[in-house]
Amino acid sequence: MLSIKNLHASVEGEEILKGINLEIKAGEVHAIMGPNGSGKSTLSQVLAGNETFEVTQGEISLNGENLLDLETEERAREGIFLAFQYPVEIPGVSNLQFLRTAVNAMRTHRGETEMNAAEFMKLAKEVSKQVDLDPAFLKRGVNEGFSGGEKKRNEILQALLLQPKLAILDETDSGLDIDALQVVSKGVNALRAEDRAILMVTHYQRLLNHIVPDHVHVLAGGRIVKSGGRELALELEERGYGWLGVKDEEATPSAAS
Amino acid sequence: MKPAPTISSAFLEPGGQSLPAPLLELRKQRGTALVDMPLPTRKTENWKYSSRHLKLTDELASTLPATGKDGYSLSIPGYRVVFHNGVMIPEASDFPDLDGIRIQRFADLDDDEAAGLAERLDNTLDTRAVQMARLNSARFEDGLYIQLDKEAVLDQPLFIVHEVTGTASGSAYPRIYVDAARHSQITVVEEYLSSGEEPVMVDTVTEFVLADGAQVTNVRLVMEGENVQHIGATGVRQAANSRFESHCVGFGGPLRRHDLQVRLEGEGGECKLNGVVVTQGKQHYDNHTSIEHVAAHCDSEETYRNIAADESHAVFNGRIHIHEDAQKSNANMNNKNLLLSTGAEIDTKPELEIYADDVKCAHGATIGQLDRISLFYLVSRGIGRREANTLLTMAFINELVEQIPVQAVKDAAQLRLNEFFDQTFQEA
Ligand SMILES: Nc1ncnc2c1ncn2[C@@H]1O[C@H](COP(=O)(O)OP(=O)(O)OP(=O)(O)O)[C@@H](O)[C@H]1O
Ligand SMILES: [Mg+2]
Repeated sequence: MLSIKNLHASVEGEEILKGINLEIKAGEVHAIMGPNGSGKSTLSQVLAGNETFEVTQGEISLNGENLLDLETEERAREGIFLAFQYPVEIPGVSNLQFLRTAVNAMRTHRGETEMNAAEFMKLAKEVSKQVDLDPAFLKRGVNEGFSGGEKKRNEILQALLLQPKLAILDETDSGLDIDALQVVSKGVNALRAEDRAILMVTHYQRLLNHIVPDHVHVLAGGRIVKSGGRELALELEERGYGWLGVKDEEATPSAAS
Repeated sequence: MKPAPTISSAFLEPGGQSLPAPLLELRKQRGTALVDMPLPTRKTENWKYSSRHLKLTDELASTLPATGKDGYSLSIPGYRVVFHNGVMIPEASDFPDLDGIRIQRFADLDDDEAAGLAERLDNTLDTRAVQMARLNSARFEDGLYIQLDKEAVLDQPLFIVHEVTGTASGSAYPRIYVDAARHSQITVVEEYLSSGEEPVMVDTVTEFVLADGAQVTNVRLVMEGENVQHIGATGVRQAANSRFESHCVGFGGPLRRHDLQVRLEGEGGECKLNGVVVTQGKQHYDNHTSIEHVAAHCDSEETYRNIAADESHAVFNGRIHIHEDAQKSNANMNNKNLLLSTGAEIDTKPELEIYADDVKCAHGATIGQLDRISLFYLVSRGIGRREANTLLTMAFINELVEQIPVQAVKDAAQLRLNEFFDQTFQEA
């Protein structure tokens, strides 16, 4: 489904991603772990098409289509969804209006008719319940004044509404209390499907107890320095990143190759 | 030094004569006083950004022709008065005859009433600061005198539609005077429209006098075309415990200028001034507001938003003057500006003069662009650029649009806003 080859990306002339290779097949769940500042969010944002980051080398394809040729909105319509590590607050745009506009943009793209306000309200209320978010949050500005956990649930709400092919979840588990983690995990598991792939960025093994990944990768210094099965996450939890020759974003070249 | 230019004598020709004698006399006096009035230039502080857009050609001095009944196919719910080229058209107007409320065109006033009005015209305005209102006083052809007796309440908004036709060059000088007695209430909507293409100037003056406890809401929608220079002044005087609300929504043109002057003259007075301005192309819009806290214990709240696209230019100048005796004044002024292109320009200036010591006065002004991260967030959900930009721009003014108390105005403004968004934002 998603194929990343030798991806290099920089911001303000500084290279952050230094040759990422990753293959994700439909139905799979991949977890990416790694130290702070190693480039996990950068990779997520590059996949979604954030132009702050310049792709200097490499390829990304989604089901054979060159993703780098597509604008962010086109990528979204092709099925890429990014749950932001820091969801953006947009006062003045109601959450409901935002969600409906997004859902209708997708429907229009697929040649379906738009949902009217009443139809959408019904759907949005149902899905809100699924992520345990009070429907009152639909009336507020997008993420405006939401707590950290509420923002994360609002991201999952969007994923459930938009039904992406590839859901990239950037630390959607961070800052969640135990109950919220359950709720979010349930939401993510509800997304799991034969024809859908999930890429989760996380620092914590605990999420992986709820959402069992098929593959775990360690991203350090802009490269994937180790890949394995779910047991890799347990090992990382126990031993940290040191044994991989990685302490922080300054990964050594030997560890990276 | 070169003497400042004065107004061309073409503008000093007497206009139409179908006014009661006291008003003709007043007009003549004002015209005489105008002879050596200096015109605004770049050196005139309150016109420094706008004087070069003010083009008082001799052709503009002609009176616009009175036109027939067509051209105002407006479907306005409720009460309406239609002015065409500065003259009221009774056949197109439809307003109530209610107890305690008199809505009369100037031409229909008897000499006594006209004499009373002549004494009062201009008394809400600091005419030194609104030079062009003086030209209106010398040239108005007609006008509307609205009087509310005490406790009279107009049950629906009164729409006053000012339309000018640019089939020939010329100028129009509409004039409104509203006298709201104790505890009376009225909502007055002014809608400025145009047709045709020849250069036209609209120089309009609206005055409100609020007695104790009166409540007046003024909605102003400026939507004339690219051939129209629009210069307007609104003067407001408020007695104790009165409340005045103004909602201005304006779209740009070669010149748009509005001076809004409010005097809080009695304790417990409140005013709320909202403004939304949208400019594009090479348009120019200049809002100058002035709030005078003359009496103690008054509240003023002002919120203006400018949106400038392309190479347009918007100006906001907000003056708050708190007089020495105006203790416990509460003044809040906020102006936020959105630049939608690097070629656009916005100038904003608060002017605070505070002579009392026990007051609360807050002001803030910002100039910014659409937030790129917010835009990215929206498009990352599949929302197109045009729609995403539209959502964010609407977010900037939503609060003010929502507050417009007249649905028909909200709808008309939204339609025109949508055109603006279609012209301004592109898909990637
Ligand atoms: N817009 C930006 N401008 C400058 N530097 C940036 C920008 N975005 C990211 N970086 C830098 O790129 C590096 C990688 O950041 P990134 O956010 O991808 O890390 P991360 O792996 O997601 O870290 P964390 O675990 O803390 O979320 C960091 O050094 C960061 O400071
Ligand atoms: Mg991150």
